[in-house]
Amino acid sequence: MELIFVLLPFALLFAGIALALFVWAARSGQFDDLDTPAVRILFDDETPVPAPGPAGPAPPARRAGGPDKEGP
Amino acid sequence: MRRPAEVANTRAGTACAHCGLPVPASRRREDGPPFCCGGCEQVYGLIQEWGYGRFYRFAGQHGRPLEPARVSGRAFEELDDPQLLAEFSDPMTQGRCRTRLYLEGVHCAACVWLVEKLPEAVPGVDSVRLNLGSAVAEVVWDPGRVALSRIGRALDRLGYTPHVHRAGRLQESRRQEDRAALVKLGVAVACAMNLMFLHGALYAGEYSGMASPFESFFRWVSLGVSLPVMLFSARPFFQAAWSGLRSRVVHMDLPVALALAVAFAASAWNTVRGSGPIYFDSLAMLVAALLGARQVQRSAQRAALERADSLRGVAFVEFARRLTGESLDSPAVEVDVHRLSPGDRVEVRSGELVPVDGVVLAGRSSLDNAVLTGESAPGPVAEGDAVNAGATNVGARIVVRVDAAGEKTRVGALFAIVEEALARRPAVLQLSDRLARYFVWAVFAVGAVTGLVWLPLGPAVALERVVALLVVACPCGIALSVPLAVSVALTRAARSGIYVKNPDALQKLRRVSHVLLDKTGTLTQGRAALVRWKGSQTSFDLARALEEESAHAVAGAFGATRAGRPRAVRAVSGVREVAGQGITGVVDGSAVAVGNRAHVEAARAVVPAALETHAATLAAEGLSPVYVAVDGRVEGIGGIGDPVRADAAATVSALRAAGIRVLVLSGDHPRVVAQVAAPLGIGPEDAVGGMTPEAKRDFVARLTAEPERRGSVVMVGDGVNDAAALALADVGIAVLGGTGASIVAADVVLTREGVAPVLDLLEGARSVHGVVARNLGLSLAYNVAGAGLAVLGHVGPLLAAVLMPASSITVTLSSALSRTFANGTAKARAVPLRRES
Repeated sequence: MELIFVLLPFALLFAGIALALFVWAARSGQFDDLDTPAVRILFDDETPVPAPGPAGPAPPARRAGGPDKEGP
Repeated sequence: MRRPAEVANTRAGTACAHCGLPVPASRRREDGPPFCCGGCEQVYGLIQEWGYGRFYRFAGQHGRPLEPARVSGRAFEELDDPQLLAEFSDPMTQGRCRTRLYLEGVHCAACVWLVEKLPEAVPGVDSVRLNLGSAVAEVVWDPGRVALSRIGRALDRLGYTPHVHRAGRLQESRRQEDRAALVKLGVAVACAMNLMFLHGALYAGEYSGMASPFESFFRWVSLGVSLPVMLFSARPFFQAAWSGLRSRVVHMDLPVALALAVAFAASAWNTVRGSGPIYFDSLAMLVAALLGARQVQRSAQRAALERADSLRGVAFVEFARRLTGESLDSPAVEVDVHRLSPGDRVEVRSGELVPVDGVVLAGRSSLDNAVLTGESAPGPVAEGDAVNAGATNVGARIVVRVDAAGEKTRVGALFAIVEEALARRPAVLQLSDRLARYFVWAVFAVGAVTGLVWLPLGPAVALERVVALLVVACPCGIALSVPLAVSVALTRAARSGIYVKNPDALQKLRRVSHVLLDKTGTLTQGRAALVRWKGSQTSFDLARALEEESAHAVAGAFGATRAGRPRAVRAVSGVREVAGQGITGVVDGSAVAVGNRAHVEAARAVVPAALETHAATLAAEGLSPVYVAVDGRVEGIGGIGDPVRADAAATVSALRAAGIRVLVLSGDHPRVVAQVAAPLGIGPEDAVGGMTPEAKRDFVARLTAEPERRGSVVMVGDGVNDAAALALADVGIAVLGGTGASIVAADVVLTREGVAPVLDLLEGARSVHGVVARNLGLSLAYNVAGAGLAVLGHVGPLLAAVLMPASSITVTLSSALSRTFANGTAKARAVPLRRES
């Protein structure tokens, strides 16, 4: 039964590590935005589905003329 | 969500390919998809060009329906200003810059997808992270490879007009606070859980017997685990209690801090001396529950606060087109308004906001002052006329000499009043806080009685009983009552389109004596619409087809009426607009002229006598008559005005039925105000017109200063001219479509159309109060029962550990099961189906 003198601090050490991880996560802003990541993950799932027309990133030639091609 | 019927419409060419709204006949085309407006067409084109067509699938699956896109078409040159960059960008490693941009028009998950694709389309952009809640995008970019203005243009062309996020620092500091609070909560919860296990062993040991070295070991470990809770997590309670004591304000944190301190001291002492009860588990649980409730309220409030913060910086004018040469026609460059100095000359194009206070140097136009003054009709300006920042140029290009810019403008001064009023606003003492004073005395009294009763058994026993009493009487449930009830209300209210920025408003709305309503944009829709029509359907259709070619306000009025009615495609040619008069053209072979009397007379049209008298009636009603001439004969007359919202009459009568005095405050002409107010049952003495923003502010200040008022003064408005009044009123409510200034100033922001949500808000506020009272009653009952048991000496650590969570759970259930704002949620869902009658 004397094992408890070792086991208990050991268990608390593990709890402490988990708590330290949580504190790190909170301090580094992991919990700042709880809404957007929830929707962001949906897009990654969609990627393999072929979309009608040219899907995926635009080819480089098109990129160059992209956003700055302003009308008169 | 795009419904199957709408998809079918898209194929048939009647629904906009971008936003799904009906497309006017003149815009329908045989080749390619139809669009409801130029903005949608541009955005759709760019999305297809970049190969992001999947955006529409995402939008259909994960979002609300898209809104018509708005593309400002600006150059965003002011974003490249090095001073602005230094102020609002953070330097990163490898020469990168991080800039926060607030994006207009972010509404759903698909927007996140599209905006975060930007690095693929714009070289030099490393990453974009968009926060859906606050609509703030964090852009990491390389100043060596791309200009911020180019990023701005790209976002604008996708339909998201970017603004420098001036409140970024404020939001950052709020975020730091949130993180710190979350860490405190996490530590408290983790320790409380572990303490529960440790104490569970001790309680079991009490019944089945436990060898003394083990018991002592467990007690010491408990003391160790509870230290982070007391020294770190519970600090806010001690700080609040201490500052309350110093300023002689008793609130609920004082008895909480007292119980924590006494119980911890006694438990620690009992651990050291090796006998007597210890309460570490109850203490940690208490701290965790209280911090948890505060965190819940914080997150319920966050969405409303973050949106308002974003707008705080935007105010509403950010850039000006400064002329670069001597000539009045010289090219203009976009600059930040804060970089302007008096004497500079700026051009204001059609449809843009006037950025400065100044004098018109060249050009003739009409300015819409509705958000500034509440006047519903635009007024003409010419050379030499003074103009104010915030007015919309609805006519042609004008050049303005800058007299004042930024904070020095009249609007800037109004804004300063708003900021000051918001900063000075005192916090409302909650019901539970008012209860705290009696509570503290009651606990002291009962504690003294307990000590005296048990003194014959020795001071040690007496002390033990008093500590037990303090632990059990700790007002945990009471302190939870308000945050839990309020956060449930805030969340439900937000779901029903009512964003409560300031939870104090809920308490103030319980008893309301006056509701002050702005007219233009609040009681009315705030835009010109055809409210009367007399004449043939053919002439109406011809006029509408012609007006679709124009950007003028009257054109919008024709388009907004009877929208969605299917009509044949009409050929329009030879369109000519006469500024301030009207428009002529050939529609389906008929010569059509639409405009004022002088305009149709110039087109040599005859006005029949019957229509002549009708025009006079319209004018008497305060509407401006619009003549429609077809082939030289006036065939119809429309009355253009600002229509009263459909729900205004019912809302006003419901408010009056509740014994609330309803007044209309408007900057518009008193005659127009009376005409709007009278059908709503508001008499001339309560419909005040011709008020300047300052007059509105003083009116509200006078009402709120009345010492014997029966209840709160509520101001409902939408314009810049209402902002100061909104901030000074007990509760300010900004309606849907309100300006940034009004949203910043208001306590409550409506995101549902109309004024009817005000009624839901009042009902919700009463309901919250009921829930708070019920919560307080329940937790007081627990405390009284616990205190009774403690006085009789029946309370040990185990009973305390059971009683405490029981009261918290009861209060939580009572809050969660309340019906607050449940009604409004149903209504919000029904809104898209409601037709305007």
